Amino acid sequence: MAENNNNNADSKLIGLLAQFDDPESLVAACNHAREAGYKKMDAYSPFPVHGIDPAIGIKRTILPLIVLAAALGAVVVGLGLQIYTNSSALDFLAPFPGYPFQISGKPVFSIPANIPVTFEIIVLTSAITTFLGMWILNRLPMFANPLHRISRFKRVTNDKFFLCLEAKDEKFNRAASETQLNKWGAVAIEEVRQDLTDNDLPKWIPTAAILGAIVLLLPPAAIFSQWGQTNRHPRLHVVPDMDWQHKFKTQTMAPNLANGLDEVDLMYADLRSARRPVDGAVAFGSLDIDSEMNFGIKQDFAHAISSRKSMRTLLVSATDDKTAESSSGDSPALAADATENIDQWVTTFPEGVEVNEKLLARGQQRFNIYCAACHGYAGQGNGLVNQKALALAANGDATWTAARSLHDADVKGDAKNPVGRIYDTITNGRGNMGPYRAQIPVEDRWAIVAYVRALQETGLKTPGVDAATDGEESAEKVDPDAKPKE
Amino acid sequence: MATTVDPQGLDNTYDDASQRTPLVLGGLDYQGVTETACGFWEAEKAPKIWWILLLMAMSLLGILGGLVNHLLMSGVGVWGNNNPAYWGWPIVNFVFWVGIGHAGTLISAILFLFRQNWRTSINRAAEAMTIFAVVCAGMFPGIHIGRVWVFYWLFPIPTEHLAMWPNFRSPLLWDVFAVSTYATVSLLFWYMGMVPDIATFRDRTKSRIGKFIYGLLSLGWTGSARNWHRYEIAYTLLAALATPLVLSVHTIVSFDFAVSQLPGWHTTIFPPYFVAGAIFSGFAMVVTLLVPARALFGLEKLITLRHLENMNKIIMATGLMVGTAYGIEFFIAWYSGVQVESYAFWNRAFGNYSWAYWIMISCNVVIPQLFWFKWCRTTTWFMVIVCIFVNIGMWFERFVITITSLCRDFLPSSWAYFTPTWVDIGMLVCSFGLFSTLFLLFCRFLPVIAMAEVKGIMPRDGHH
Amino acid sequence: MHETRPAKITSPVVSLGNGYVRTIPVAAIVAAVGVVLAILFSGGLGARFMHAYLMNYAFLLSICLGCLFFVTIMHLTRAGWSVTLRRIAELYAMCVVPMALLFLPILVTVLSGSDVLYPWVDGGWSMGDSDDPAAVATAGFINSLPVAQRPPFEQLKYGFLNPGFFAGRWVVYFLIWGGMASFFLFTSLKQDKTGEGSLTHRMQAFAAPAMIVFAATLVFSSFDLEMSLEPFWFSTMYPVYFFAGAVLSAWATITLTALWFQRTGRVTDEITIEHYHDMGKMMFGFIVFWGYIAFSQFLLIWYANIPEETFWYNWRINYPGWKTLSYVLLIGHLFIPFLAMMGRTVRRSKNFLFGATIYLLVMHWLDHFWLVMPHYNHYVGGGIEGRGWDTFNPMADIACAVGMIAAFIAIFCVICRDRPLVALQDPRLGESLNHEVH
Repeated sequence: MAENNNNNADSKLIGLLAQFDDPESLVAACNHAREAGYKKMDAYSPFPVHGIDPAIGIKRTILPLIVLAAALGAVVVGLGLQIYTNSSALDFLAPFPGYPFQISGKPVFSIPANIPVTFEIIVLTSAITTFLGMWILNRLPMFANPLHRISRFKRVTNDKFFLCLEAKDEKFNRAASETQLNKWGAVAIEEVRQDLTDNDLPKWIPTAAILGAIVLLLPPAAIFSQWGQTNRHPRLHVVPDMDWQHKFKTQTMAPNLANGLDEVDLMYADLRSARRPVDGAVAFGSLDIDSEMNFGIKQDFAHAISSRKSMRTLLVSATDDKTAESSSGDSPALAADATENIDQWVTTFPEGVEVNEKLLARGQQRFNIYCAACHGYAGQGNGLVNQKALALAANGDATWTAARSLHDADVKGDAKNPVGRIYDTITNGRGNMGPYRAQIPVEDRWAIVAYVRALQETGLKTPGVDAATDGEESAEKVDPDAKPKE
Repeated sequence: MATTVDPQGLDNTYDDASQRTPLVLGGLDYQGVTETACGFWEAEKAPKIWWILLLMAMSLLGILGGLVNHLLMSGVGVWGNNNPAYWGWPIVNFVFWVGIGHAGTLISAILFLFRQNWRTSINRAAEAMTIFAVVCAGMFPGIHIGRVWVFYWLFPIPTEHLAMWPNFRSPLLWDVFAVSTYATVSLLFWYMGMVPDIATFRDRTKSRIGKFIYGLLSLGWTGSARNWHRYEIAYTLLAALATPLVLSVHTIVSFDFAVSQLPGWHTTIFPPYFVAGAIFSGFAMVVTLLVPARALFGLEKLITLRHLENMNKIIMATGLMVGTAYGIEFFIAWYSGVQVESYAFWNRAFGNYSWAYWIMISCNVVIPQLFWFKWCRTTTWFMVIVCIFVNIGMWFERFVITITSLCRDFLPSSWAYFTPTWVDIGMLVCSFGLFSTLFLLFCRFLPVIAMAEVKGIMPRDGHH
Repeated sequence: MHETRPAKITSPVVSLGNGYVRTIPVAAIVAAVGVVLAILFSGGLGARFMHAYLMNYAFLLSICLGCLFFVTIMHLTRAGWSVTLRRIAELYAMCVVPMALLFLPILVTVLSGSDVLYPWVDGGWSMGDSDDPAAVATAGFINSLPVAQRPPFEQLKYGFLNPGFFAGRWVVYFLIWGGMASFFLFTSLKQDKTGEGSLTHRMQAFAAPAMIVFAATLVFSSFDLEMSLEPFWFSTMYPVYFFAGAVLSAWATITLTALWFQRTGRVTDEITIEHYHDMGKMMFGFIVFWGYIAFSQFLLIWYANIPEETFWYNWRINYPGWKTLSYVLLIGHLFIPFLAMMGRTVRRSKNFLFGATIYLLVMHWLDHFWLVMPHYNHYVGGGIEGRGWDTFNPMADIACAVGMIAAFIAIFCVICRDRPLVALQDPRLGESLNHEVH
């Protein structure tokens, strides 16, 4: 093939290619060539030969700097992407604004959680830059290289080593250079000729490339043309029975209607997915005829329950106490609402609740689960939630009503807080304390009442409740405007 | 070339501190390396055993396709995943395959940075294995998301329809980025390393199609010194990038578990422990594949016993690291004084999944200790058995971590037992079909040995 | 290009020789002055001084252990390039034997039943006693329990953290470390004389099991030394964190010592710029590794947000002064060295490495300061206003550092004595002398 080129009038000599059999002779020849003043040359080898770079004067590539720049850019892009999308409501990329949302208690902008993705973006960007940068700097891919026409050169990827002196070099002289190469130990020398007729691409290639590009552009163009358009047809559902499940969900209309289908699949005329209970119906297990057991109210006063009708009303009346209290000037704990008759509460545990060690243990356990978070394990009103909230409230970060100490004089004893009232407090809440009837079954509420009583009886000496005088002190500590919690 | 001590000249596991052990045996020169490495590819007909293996692998692949189809049409209910084990086998399989996919990049990148020359004969196959393992790994979370056709919601692609962005504070999203970055970078690294060897194929192939395809893939590579210079720098850069990347991938996989509060999952040593485990299983898989491959393709002079022995030593070392991590976890579970934490570990060892735990311990900690004996780590059939055990053990490690913790969390009322369905089992088994198909095709059509790199580390006259 | 360097030692001065005669008195005086000043700054031998001592002890011990790791791993990997540096590491590793004596003050404090250092000594938790809600909230939920309901420490961890067992463990640690260090040093010294290649095989064979034992002792000693200062807190990553810092500082110390030797005209030909380049690379790697471990540990605890664990970080990142120090570590221990040591040129500059290794050691010292001192500040400082930097005076720690480092240098010089500073007849010496970074 090389011989053919030699005789071709349309070919141009671009260099002399010398073959060597081992890397050492190649390096030596390169050194000779440099000493002889050649500047434009290149060596070819099956593997990188060390020592050749200085010999033919290769400068260190700037690739690392390019990659570094790309990496620094990736830091900005990576962090920016996460800040924009997750922690900002910015909309300069409208119609795709940021969407800040709270999740797992993390701040919307939380650097530690953004590090991993930023890191991956840096590595990805740098790696792609390295890869593409290397090929671009090497001017590859280049398929039309005259060297590939020389059959001898095929062994460059196997076991032979080549040095090419380029004809562009000032020192290059066809005959003299060949002599020099021979002197430096070349095993074989060949001319590298560029076939000038070969320079034009075959005509079909650009045509095919343009056609291919058009075909490739069609799908994105089709998608883009539909972008932001409204479509009356429902979108494609790959597995319909997953998207349209025939089931009722709470607080929804009949399923097919909710899914926007044309066919109306009505089960009930009012479109509700469930029926409301008939008036006067009592749910299973909710009969509550024992007012002492279930409400802590003496049987004689049972009418008080029916007059209140529902637990919901009870709760509302308790929160209404606030207005009554601020005018009455009583100690907050004693500020009973106008409708509350202190005599209505049972003062002894109802029948069926046997106060024994087992009950107290149960009460302690439940107390520690449900009550201690605010009231503290010893009922001193120093639970962790309370402390944390107070600390936040002190900074103005939250509003909070301090939890009461159960050892305060005004919440102790049958006169002021009979067991029935404590039970009622747990059941329906009081002040800002919410109701716990949904969480705690009746028996457990009584167990907690027993345990609270036991705590009060032992009168644990703690800072804040020390002697009789401390009652005032603790009253002062509590925010006077606040409704007490019990 | 040093004189060899055994008659065949293929045992280079002897230890002589005064000189470096040769890594290319049988007196091969550059031409010999090329001939040996290309031998299987140049063979007119692939041996029968290759066809049989390919047929088996493709049958499994076909079944896998059927199973995936069944899953997509019926929903994830066909798996054994239940409440509370939402993460069942798919995640176990995912972590297992991602772990295997660590050895390739480790050999290519970390051993390269540490100038461990013995990596050169094995790195190509290991890198390929990495990519195929990552393909298998990526499949599982892909099909686990349920509605596969909206998989692009995983990525921050703006859609008006969704009007939302992914949550970048979630480890699951970190996973998306880590695994896709890892797959991309591994692919670039693998391909870039292959270009000079594909150029060898281009120059040796006789078929027109081969000339066209290999010519296209080799990008017109000439082996010019200027190209080699940038190529080497780029290779070092990619290695330097891939090293933290390979650590980050399994670290982030471990974050999936460890950022939660679940007893047995939340432990700070997870990142390095997962990475060690990944290297452990990855090397075991490399040995499992290379021992038959070197016999089948006649590569004993390039992938020598020394290479295998070194890998076995790494397997032993990482196995001990994993064992140490098990120990630290157990100790801290007790030391922490946290009841649920202690229970989680007691439950692993003595609860209703104890069988899985003890399989894990025996396969990961006990059996690799056989490699203390030289015979064990230099006898090919034996090391394959040990390595298969290691891979079984590492699969069970992920099973133990995922399932025992989920099935025994804080709330006893939600405790349950996880049982895989036939679809679960089928998908695990058939994922090996996907893996093997890709690997067998690779062996036949792409350079299995990094010829250019092997030639670069061969001793030269007048040097060393 | 490939000028082949000799495979034998040619440099005339390969030992410290008389150098140590001049160094030791100066170092001894500085050591005495430093320690006395530290006692004065601390106002006696109480908790303040003991924390300063513990912190500096941990700093120095981590260097010895890092060097011991260097020797073991180089044998394990049959490394050739590092042979000329290995003797320095062997000598530093040998310092672990005198370091056992320096452990006595800590051991005596613990055995005497004093809880000035470790709160577990008398079986108490000693969590913050303040009534301040924020302080209590951060000190963990234990405080809100009535005393009788607090988990009795004796029952919980006393089986592990008690003075007797603690002392026993440390005896075992030092026996193992001392045994390893002396085996490697004396076998290597023997090879200097005989040149037997079989000794190398022996050290290689020894390195594998030694590494396992070393890992186990490192794990538990890191729990014992610093993590148990706060017995309530636990992190499985802690030993790895300790290890990462130890290895980084050991590499820095070996490089710094080699530079020091060469500046004073020793081992000038044996250690070349190629070795420094490799050490620089590995330091760069371990900077990243340290950052990786530190970040992972933080991220997991931060993310899971469990009070049993977060209070430890809360002390360090939410109180004035300590917060600044945490940022100093993040930027100074990770970002600055990461960017500074990235380039190839700087890793091949002796002047740069001289500054960089000293800098890295200072950062490692600050790392241990950060690990230990918030504990002191919280326990003994008392009250929320006592938990920030403003009530804390680091002068005692700095004086103690000066004193103990001087003592350490003196010890090192004594161990060096007339011993050759390179392994004279290692079979891979030639490889190391001709080492070249491609």
